[in-house]
Amino acid sequence: MFIREGLPLLSVRTTIMAGIFSVLCGCASYSQSFHTVEHSLLNNDPASALAALEKQSHSDRDLFLYHSNKAMLLRMLGKFRQSNEEIEKAKAIIKKYSAISVSEQTSSFIINDATRTYIGTPVEQVMLHIYAALNYLEMGNLDDARVEILQVDIRLRTLMQDDPNSPLSTDPFARYLSGIIYEELGEWSDAMIACRKAYEAYQTHAALYGIAMPKQLERALIRMADKVGLDNERREYEKKFGLRLADIQAKNNNDAELVFIFNNGLAPIKRETSIQIIEPDSGQLIRISLPYYQKRNTIVAGARLQLKNDHEFVAKTEKVEDISSLEVETLNSQMAAITARALARAVAKHKMAKEAGQQNGLAGLIVNIAGVLTERADTRSWLTLPAEIQIARLRVPAANYSARIELLDHSNNIIFQRSLGKVVLSRDRKYYLSFHWASTSETTRH
Amino acid sequence: MSSRKLKLAILAVFIGLLVSACGTQVKRVDVDKTIDLSGAWNDTDSRMVSEEMIKDMLERPWYRNYTRKHNSPPAVIVGEIRNLSHEHINVKTFISDIERAMINSGQVNFVASSNERREIREERKDQDINASEATRKAMGREMGADFMLKGSINTIIDMEGKTQLRYYQVDLTLISLADNRKVWLGQKKIKKLIKNSNLRY
Repeated sequence: MFIREGLPLLSVRTTIMAGIFSVLCGCASYSQSFHTVEHSLLNNDPASALAALEKQSHSDRDLFLYHSNKAMLLRMLGKFRQSNEEIEKAKAIIKKYSAISVSEQTSSFIINDATRTYIGTPVEQVMLHIYAALNYLEMGNLDDARVEILQVDIRLRTLMQDDPNSPLSTDPFARYLSGIIYEELGEWSDAMIACRKAYEAYQTHAALYGIAMPKQLERALIRMADKVGLDNERREYEKKFGLRLADIQAKNNNDAELVFIFNNGLAPIKRETSIQIIEPDSGQLIRISLPYYQKRNTIVAGARLQLKNDHEFVAKTEKVEDISSLEVETLNSQMAAITARALARAVAKHKMAKEAGQQNGLAGLIVNIAGVLTERADTRSWLTLPAEIQIARLRVPAANYSARIELLDHSNNIIFQRSLGKVVLSRDRKYYLSFHWASTSETTRH
Repeated sequence: MSSRKLKLAILAVFIGLLVSACGTQVKRVDVDKTIDLSGAWNDTDSRMVSEEMIKDMLERPWYRNYTRKHNSPPAVIVGEIRNLSHEHINVKTFISDIERAMINSGQVNFVASSNERREIREERKDQDINASEATRKAMGREMGADFMLKGSINTIIDMEGKTQLRYYQVDLTLISLADNRKVWLGQKKIKKLIKNSNLRY
């Protein structure tokens, strides 16, 4: 069979396929299109990042990401109420699109996974509630933060129902944060249960990706066991952790507590890896594209918070949630299903092109090109999430302080410091203060 | 009708249907009509619970005892009603529904809340300087409340797959401000079974 100027179809096909390779290399995936937003974030300039995000066009399928990213940027700007409005919109998208769509399943089978409405990974869905709760806490609205931790409990129960044996069906920090909130509300038994669940979750997650159990949770477990009168359990914890209740109880009735939340770095970015082969019999190009996570490493290992008036108090942050590793592990657990879908799609596309080719050589070529061009991995993810959350809990006499943060590298050298202004600590309420550090090396450009 | 005209007519109907499906539709509905969209706490729950609970409150012995003893209706104030549920419930609209039900019953004197009182006191201060003597309202003549109504909204959720059983429990307590006695405890429960679809188009 020949087309124009007598070139054999097979060689024309090969030439065209070579062209497709180069076109595909130039196509921007979702994560690449995020470059302008990331660029501003890396300069720790969330206002410009927000302006860049709002300038971008957003398809209806990606609205979850638009609202989640906007929520995170607004939070970085201290606009907690507006941030929670965006979080509610993202939550509404999860609720609306959780049912399996017949049309989207068909299009994802014929075209690619990115044609489906994005409703977030399990980690991202849990993080929405965590950040909503943190926003409420920073606004001093404890009851609404309590609503969020009840919602996160329902979310975790749903994950557990879907996959009961997966350690990823629970989230250690979600449980620990619940414990902090219940403790402040004086709901001791709920705080005890939440801290116990957090303890179990940290142990299973430590085996999975090496997160350490935070020291502050050990202290909370001993405190809560004492509050609810579980003396045997308290003694066990004291022995296990090498701590004594007397040493961790408030020494002064006038003590206030500051909870400092340090959001370090940026969550990993999804990339695409593709295998392309030319099937020798038909000369058809077959392409399979799969996503993988690339961590966006930060040079900051931790932070030190200083509170100063006539005295000076210092506390170092501890890692309480490793979002990066959680995301990577979650994707790993989903890879078998994603790969099976990609293979089934490749077979279907190959068959369609072959059938079209039997009717008409040119039609077969066009169907093959379309199939290859549309084969893209779903690289959508919540890119403004931090890589990890660290917390420092500081118990100091109720007074006015000036707060200061120092960021430390892996050798404990100070690489950045900034004043966080005045904080007024009273003994009847915990004070929540947060800081975001996004600066890493640029990743979305390439 | 020629086949061309028929085709045009079918096309027109099709376009008409398409356009009507795209536009925003607004339909006015009666405020008393029960419409359940998501299964979450809504205006109907708020209104129903407040009306039924206040009716129950005013029919109980504490009310008869008070009016017999004092020969006047009790003065009530609404205190904090805490949202302990898993939903972001607008407690303010629930409080106004309770206030409305109480005032409209005509059986109690209703005292303004502390925020409202602060504003009124400011106004009285202003009157002291600017209003004529005949219309000026004196300070220190406020009616003190006899009882305070406090409460909470709780939920229990049970679920299996896409089906959820939501159980709401509203607890209200009327406390005597004179001696901290709890004179009435009211409880209202609502149960909702919500089935979410497994499939969508």
